[in-house]
Amino acid sequence: MVSAISIEHLTKYYRNFKALNDVSLEVAEGEFFGFLGPNGAGKTTTISVITGLANYQKGSVHVFGCDVGADYRTTRALIGLVPQEFNFDPFLSAEQILSFEGGYFGIPWREAKQRAQELLKLFDLAEKRHEGYKRLSGGMKRRLLIARALMHRPKILILDEPTAGVDLELRHQLWDFLRRLNREGTTVVLTTHYIEEAEKLCSRIGVIHKGSIVALDSTETLIRKMSGDQVELFLKARLDFLPVSLKSFQIFLEEEGRKLRFEEKNDAVPKILKALHQEGIEIEKIDIRRPTLEDAFLKLVGKKDKAFVLEEGKE
Amino acid sequence: MKPRVGFQTLVRREIVRFFSVFSQTIFPPLVSSFLYILIFGFSLGGRIQQIQGIPYLIYLIPGLLMMYVIEGSYANTSSSLFISRWANNIEELLVTPLSYFEMVLAILIGGLVRSLMISLGVYLVSLLFARFPIAHPFLVLYFLIFVSLVFSSVGMIVALFAEEFEHLTIVTTFVITPLIFFGGVFHSITLVPAPLRGLTGFNPIFYMINGMRYSMLGISDVPVQKSMFVVLFFCLALFSITVYLFKTGFKLRK
Repeated sequence: MVSAISIEHLTKYYRNFKALNDVSLEVAEGEFFGFLGPNGAGKTTTISVITGLANYQKGSVHVFGCDVGADYRTTRALIGLVPQEFNFDPFLSAEQILSFEGGYFGIPWREAKQRAQELLKLFDLAEKRHEGYKRLSGGMKRRLLIARALMHRPKILILDEPTAGVDLELRHQLWDFLRRLNREGTTVVLTTHYIEEAEKLCSRIGVIHKGSIVALDSTETLIRKMSGDQVELFLKARLDFLPVSLKSFQIFLEEEGRKLRFEEKNDAVPKILKALHQEGIEIEKIDIRRPTLEDAFLKLVGKKDKAFVLEEGKE
Repeated sequence: MKPRVGFQTLVRREIVRFFSVFSQTIFPPLVSSFLYILIFGFSLGGRIQQIQGIPYLIYLIPGLLMMYVIEGSYANTSSSLFISRWANNIEELLVTPLSYFEMVLAILIGGLVRSLMISLGVYLVSLLFARFPIAHPFLVLYFLIFVSLVFSSVGMIVALFAEEFEHLTIVTTFVITPLIFFGGVFHSITLVPAPLRGLTGFNPIFYMINGMRYSMLGISDVPVQKSMFVVLFFCLALFSITVYLFKTGFKLRK
């Protein structure tokens, strides 16, 4: 079966800066794919290449088997893009923004106007249909962006940080809507800062860091692979520094010496408990937390290293 | 989905855009053409009386018409495209299945429609002062259409290179307006000193104004065939450059 999106060895430079370095990934048809990475990691650049907003130097990008360069008219007709920034036509009303978008994608005028009415109603914007986008609230603009991307019923919906700056209620509404859209067959690609969002919505995740893909797997596998259970030991007495016997473990002294945190792997729990007992350190409470995508993400993008440096500083 | 709908929609968008700012796009040329004809035609006309057997007031009209076609088409496409780049809504267009050829042609047609409306308006204003038969109506259309497409293309190219709004007006002030004025809106080349006459031959707007003057009045400082060729040449060359810039994504794609 042809992938909805297929990227092979994609490399992209901005002058001398390598923004994407040998990126390869596949998104299957009907998948809900999450694309994670810190600011400037290359998420938006990858999306820009797929949608035709950025040129690239090496590699290939296909949408349903069609090359995004040679067959750009076909690939663009298949994609709906919800960009990160508001990029509405300043001369048009909300209704016109949708109708014209439909027209650009080849929907006859009358049909486009009808579809615009439907989407305005669906996104609770019908009352604002004659207003220019500048007179809409932030949440309304965000909804209008999504409605615009759906005008031509795309097979792939790409959303670049769709819930950035959106209140909790609207965020949950959007999540429900995207889940429904995906169930109905639309392939969804989502970039987000909110790890919780990716964990809740996406069946598979790609993590990009400094222009390279550092992980690509199903959400569950990624969490399992990247992170064991997080164990937190709350101490009866405050510790000023880590004893030498605990140095060989990847253990973090936190909350001003009142908590020890480590990841359960290679039977670390009994070994650490034994070492603590030998050192005469008493434990008040033990918490075991299942790993989250956030733990995996932080590990992948290097926050672990930062924590380690802090911990070393305490020794 | 129908293939030409996207193109027609973009043409419609361009027309909606300049109509939405009617008072800035259509109205001013009508007022200023009225003033030009009134002041130059009447006051100067009394002194110059005739050029090549034509009363000065009538001699003035084809040049003024061409001046507004040039200014209107340049202003339309340059501001439309630059605002789209500035507000980033050009991205909205670039992710659609429209071909680059269609994008460019549709935006140029926006400039063409605006300049045709302005030229019709300026002609109607001129009828308040003088009435005369049009010598070659089809040639009038030829020069209106192709000159408008030339300067619509110039507008698009400048809008792609420009980094600020000021850059658009710098081209108008320091390039287009001097070329229009030296191109013979108000005078015949026969009235200029010999060295300047030689230089005028390198000014493409000189051929455009004279082409229009021949089409409307049957008189010109250069053979009309030459004017037709110059206009067509610039039209094709600049259109090709504009499409090429869009295809390569110059200042459009990251």
